[in-house]
Amino acid sequence: MTAGGYFGQALVADASTGSADILPLPDSVLRAYLGGAGLGAWLMHTLAPPRADPLGPEAPLAFVFSPLVGTPLTTSAKFAVVAKSPLTGMLTDALASSQFAIAGKYAGYDAIAVRGACSELSVLLVDGTGVRLMPAPELAGLTAAETDRRLRDRLGRGWRIAAIGPAGERGVRYATISHDGRHAGRGGLGAVLGAKRLKAVAVHAATRVAPAHPDAVLAAARDLRARSFGPATAKYRELGTLANLLTFNAIATLPTRNFQAATFDEAPQLAAEELADMRRVARSGCASCTIGCEHIYAARGGKKMRVEYENVFALGPMCGVGDPDAVLAASARCDELGIDTISAGGTIAWAMECADRGLIDAPWLRFGDADAMLRALDEIGAREGIGKLLADGSRRAAEQVGGGSAAFAPHVKGLEMPGYEPRSLHAMALGLAVNARGADHNRSGAYEADLSGDLDRLDGGAAHVAAAIETEDRAAVMDSMILCKFLRGVFDDPLTEWAGLLSAVTGWDCSAAELQRTARRIVLAKRVFNIREGWQPADDWLPERLLSEPLPLASGRVAALTPERLRAMIDGYYAARGLDLQGRPGEAEYADLQLADGQAAPGQARERPPLCS
Amino acid sequence: MPKSAGVVLAGGRSSRMGSPKAALEWHGSTLLWRTVSILSRATGGPVVVVRAAGQELPPLPPGTAVVDDPREARGPVQGIAAGLAALADQADVAFVSSTDLPFLHPAFVRRVLRAVESDGADVGLPVARGFRQPLAAGYRTALSPAAERLVAEGRLKPAFLFEQCEVAMLDEDALRSDPVLAALDPDLESVVNVNERADYESARARPSPEVMVQRLGVLADGHRGPRAVRAATVAEAAQAAEVTLGRHVVAALNGDQITRDGQAPLAAGDTVLFLSADAGG
Repeated sequence: MTAGGYFGQALVADASTGSADILPLPDSVLRAYLGGAGLGAWLMHTLAPPRADPLGPEAPLAFVFSPLVGTPLTTSAKFAVVAKSPLTGMLTDALASSQFAIAGKYAGYDAIAVRGACSELSVLLVDGTGVRLMPAPELAGLTAAETDRRLRDRLGRGWRIAAIGPAGERGVRYATISHDGRHAGRGGLGAVLGAKRLKAVAVHAATRVAPAHPDAVLAAARDLRARSFGPATAKYRELGTLANLLTFNAIATLPTRNFQAATFDEAPQLAAEELADMRRVARSGCASCTIGCEHIYAARGGKKMRVEYENVFALGPMCGVGDPDAVLAASARCDELGIDTISAGGTIAWAMECADRGLIDAPWLRFGDADAMLRALDEIGAREGIGKLLADGSRRAAEQVGGGSAAFAPHVKGLEMPGYEPRSLHAMALGLAVNARGADHNRSGAYEADLSGDLDRLDGGAAHVAAAIETEDRAAVMDSMILCKFLRGVFDDPLTEWAGLLSAVTGWDCSAAELQRTARRIVLAKRVFNIREGWQPADDWLPERLLSEPLPLASGRVAALTPERLRAMIDGYYAARGLDLQGRPGEAEYADLQLADGQAAPGQARERPPLCS
Repeated sequence: MPKSAGVVLAGGRSSRMGSPKAALEWHGSTLLWRTVSILSRATGGPVVVVRAAGQELPPLPPGTAVVDDPREARGPVQGIAAGLAALADQADVAFVSSTDLPFLHPAFVRRVLRAVESDGADVGLPVARGFRQPLAAGYRTALSPAAERLVAEGRLKPAFLFEQCEVAMLDEDALRSDPVLAALDPDLESVVNVNERADYESARARPSPEVMVQRLGVLADGHRGPRAVRAATVAEAAQAAEVTLGRHVVAALNGDQITRDGQAPLAAGDTVLFLSADAGG
């Protein structure tokens, strides 16, 4: 009997034919990987042919739910979108929220995967009657938000939509998938759907699944709800993540002008403390969430958008732009086009520096020029002009431009860097370098340790390694069970408390020790997938600029990260993770992944990654 | 290895004070705690406390090393030798301080060390307030063998060590040529020491240094922008800023060191930012 909270099956749809298969999900797999990002990694191992083109028809993309979806636990209405990234060539998983998670799961599946490619722009519909494709050429070029509105008008009540914008249709390698204004943002998942000529996936609930112990879940939900209003979530409720901007500027952690500096003179103009008074018009939240972290701002002219630290950092200080209206307008434009603000801002910032150095012929593209930034965004979305170069991300663009521009291309594994300066956050530096998705502030939360006061953020060593591992493990569990990370501060003993929640939902007798093993398994499964797809040890590293250009601090100290220090931390990470010096697992670690040959998967043969000797 | 470190000589008899100077209360901790913390902050490297064998010390900041002065009553050169020897594998230079300098400023430490680190001298020796200050001076850790030889020979004055090496004499003009030190410690009170009870009580009664505090993020609610307060420790600054350090609130000292340690000492000109510990995300 399938555990509570699960259906025990995934739907694997074929966009070429409109047909679908059912992939049974044994309890052993569900218990080993939980759901969300974890189960998504297992599904990619199972469904993705080795070394497939991520934009090719054989490449799968999966919407993955979790046992907590549909329960009254706050922040549980989340889903992961998982695929091989066209930006990095490695596994990417992005989380988004709200009703799509509930409707998608209650269509009757723990995951909905899609392979193949439609012959024309279409929408994939999944409900209680099964799967069908609906041609939708009239949706071409529309924003994800407009697509959502039109489809819900057309399909009727209860349908929930995950859609791509025009950038996804044009294969911008950092295009997003969006649901109700929330984005599965990183890694170019929108381009994967676009390559399948799927404008959207629409889901409709058809059934339900109960938790194993409903009363216990209800009691836990009440408790968690109360805690969600406490001081641990105050920042998210009152100002949102934009509160980070002035703080990071004050402690020399705000990447500025393509990581040439870590403080931005115009940061006060973009600070949440000031901007909220002037521009915030509303606050909202996802379904099943009591925190309400979404702060809606209005730009001059009336356009409204959700504002987060990352989009303001990437389209503000990273590009040298300090005009709040320009930054808000750029953020709205990214939403309209359906592109990842972090990758867009990082790639444009790199291009601005190239233009400064005369490496590209774009004299109009200068740091601090908001109009130039907006023009670059439009050209990226259209794949025209400078967009032809930039739509594929900073790594590919640097390979094309040469001239030493790779040294300051702000990416790890091809994924542009979030707003955390590694030279002044050494635990985070390690987390960014080793993470499977690339430079990622969600799969690694190591900045928590750097900002805790428990260690010296400028003196990376063993304590930073331990902290990076601990936060990576906690993220792996939260992203798989799924609970929003904004809730993380309410837990005194996270693994123990999460084990209790899972036990109540599933009926398993989970423990903290088991979840610790689960975390390690999920992190390793992602690494093993990447190894299979061509990861090399040199991919666990940071851009040369960050290892060769120290930053003086006002205190008199210097924020510097040397190659030797990074190497030592990475070696320590590998050792602690049971990997060899090349970052590869041994037989015992591989065996625990439950990636057995001959596993029930529709017609897929898998190649075992090379093992250390 | 890190360029600089700190040595605090805590083994003196404190005969005129009447009680161990190291343990004298200072704004919620002790003079020893303050001196160790200031050196840690100023040098960015390890700090070693040299005590008399068997001497009981008050609590120390985590990570502080303690070495015993192997021979009692051999004066400061023995303590300097022991401290420099303990750091020989860990740093090139060290600031050596007595434990009784309640106004020692990080800017003073950095100015003195620069004479050794950058200017090539073996010793950076301040001459301030009418006296040479060998127990508020910078030394190359490689001098420890020379210092030990002097002790073995019974030549116990620091002047004997200075005869054997290159000494950069830093008079008051030289010290104040550093604009940061000139601004933050214009009267060179860093070298004011307390020998008798009245000295200590007078020092203790002085107003706390003026620092700037600012609340950021959600903590800024109704309290935007920096403001000046008087605070000798991070805890006093928190109180003045009306915040409580703890699980969800940390302090950033001078935009650099993040801490929840309320006992962390402050010096004139410091800025203390109070942040939500949930920064990030």
